[in-house]
Amino acid sequence: MASRARTYNTEGVILRRRNLGEADSIFTIFSPTLGKFDAISRGVRKTKSRMRGHLEPLTRSQLHVATGRNLDILTQAETMAAYLAVRDDLDRLTLAVYCCELVDRFTVDHAVQVDLYDLLVQLLEALNAGAPLTVGRYFELHVLALTGYEVQLSQCAVCGARLPEAEALFSVGSGGLVCEACRGAAGSGRIISVRAMKVLRFAANGTLGEFAGLRLATELEGELQRCLGEAIRAVLDRETNSGRYLDSLAGPLHLPDPEPASHVQLTSHLEPERD
Amino acid sequence: MQLRAASGCPGSGSANTRMAEVPSTPEPIQRLIEAFHRLPGIGPKSAQRLAYHILRTSEQDALALADSVMDVKRRIRFCSVCLNITENDPCGYCSDDRRDRTVVCVVEQPLDVLAIERSGGYRGQYHVLHGVLNPIDGVGPEDIHVRELVVRLQAGEIEEIIMATNANLEGEATAMYVQRLVGPAGVRVTRLARGLPSGADLEYTDDVTLARALEGRREV
Repeated sequence: MASRARTYNTEGVILRRRNLGEADSIFTIFSPTLGKFDAISRGVRKTKSRMRGHLEPLTRSQLHVATGRNLDILTQAETMAAYLAVRDDLDRLTLAVYCCELVDRFTVDHAVQVDLYDLLVQLLEALNAGAPLTVGRYFELHVLALTGYEVQLSQCAVCGARLPEAEALFSVGSGGLVCEACRGAAGSGRIISVRAMKVLRFAANGTLGEFAGLRLATELEGELQRCLGEAIRAVLDRETNSGRYLDSLAGPLHLPDPEPASHVQLTSHLEPERD
Repeated sequence: MQLRAASGCPGSGSANTRMAEVPSTPEPIQRLIEAFHRLPGIGPKSAQRLAYHILRTSEQDALALADSVMDVKRRIRFCSVCLNITENDPCGYCSDDRRDRTVVCVVEQPLDVLAIERSGGYRGQYHVLHGVLNPIDGVGPEDIHVRELVVRLQAGEIEEIIMATNANLEGEATAMYVQRLVGPAGVRVTRLARGLPSGADLEYTDDVTLARALEGRREV
């Protein structure tokens, strides 16, 4: 990147926003042509800002960016898709935010990944069109595959033998399903049912649209969620922020904090705004 | 400009380590500079300028400033009902009998209470969450004061909750969360209308705002 153009145009999905100072924000944008990058928008938090609505997280926007010394500066933005139906539903919204967080954590700055971008846009469009929340599992499996952590589903991840139609060990450390003979060598993992294996294979080979048409029993969905969640935790070596939150929405909501109101202390909550 | 030339100070922050080598600023001034530098939006140069300004002001003015800083920390606390900041507990809004006790307006921070009061169109109670749900950064329900709101509802007096969180992703998520949390208890949860701000240009309005504005259109 010897000399860069002073301004450039790109489209991108806004992955996240961090506030800076009084009225500025830094946006993390995922672009099909430039990969993930950060850019600042000055004065974007003022009521008069013309760009504010076009830069909300989860929006797919056309952006005009000026090259800055440290951070590039957003100068114009126009919404291509706002995914309104996603924003109106707490579960869809949280799942979409979770998927954006996965993209953010599985990518490095300026690495172009068109397939991953297409996958993210497909997911947002599917959620917006009313696809079931199970499409999150499709997204998890394919994020792993597209970033170099493909899960071995048809052959044993240890010995390479074809897997029989029977329960198998899902071992994150070995990189996929492990046949019965190799279980000792694979170490820790989780036994998954034949049905779950079939769904995973279907997800790996099919399109998001086909997968969205699949009706999964709650039990099966839970099984998939657990094993893919474990795989993602193992690769990232941490919990995702939104994943924890997503789990808490799954059941009936309960009060989060058993501490009484009198516990509130002034000092802990009147801190200057995080920037 | 004059002040900067006069200072000859190595800046702030990491200044302590360098103080031995460079002709040093007297320690009390250095401490003041560092204290200013910790404030939001104040860089090293502004911190210097403020510190030297304090040095030049009368002792009376300087002490008044120091006093008001102390007072804020000593006398201001949270209202035990609405969690707004206040000098007296319960706060003026919660203890005012003329205000409607069946409606609660839920806001993110104390400044939002002032904004709504300024509008002059609201005569109910408040509840300050001191934050907003932010799944991306991992701010969950346990990090904001949602629980206290639910406790207030249990008294049975409240009929409507107006969610006045910001009209962004986090604010919407919070509003929907509260709706899901307290909706089953039979309390009416409403949301501030979203649409065009006064003085807005249609041309620059984003799709979401326009769609909401259309949804919420009124007869002229």
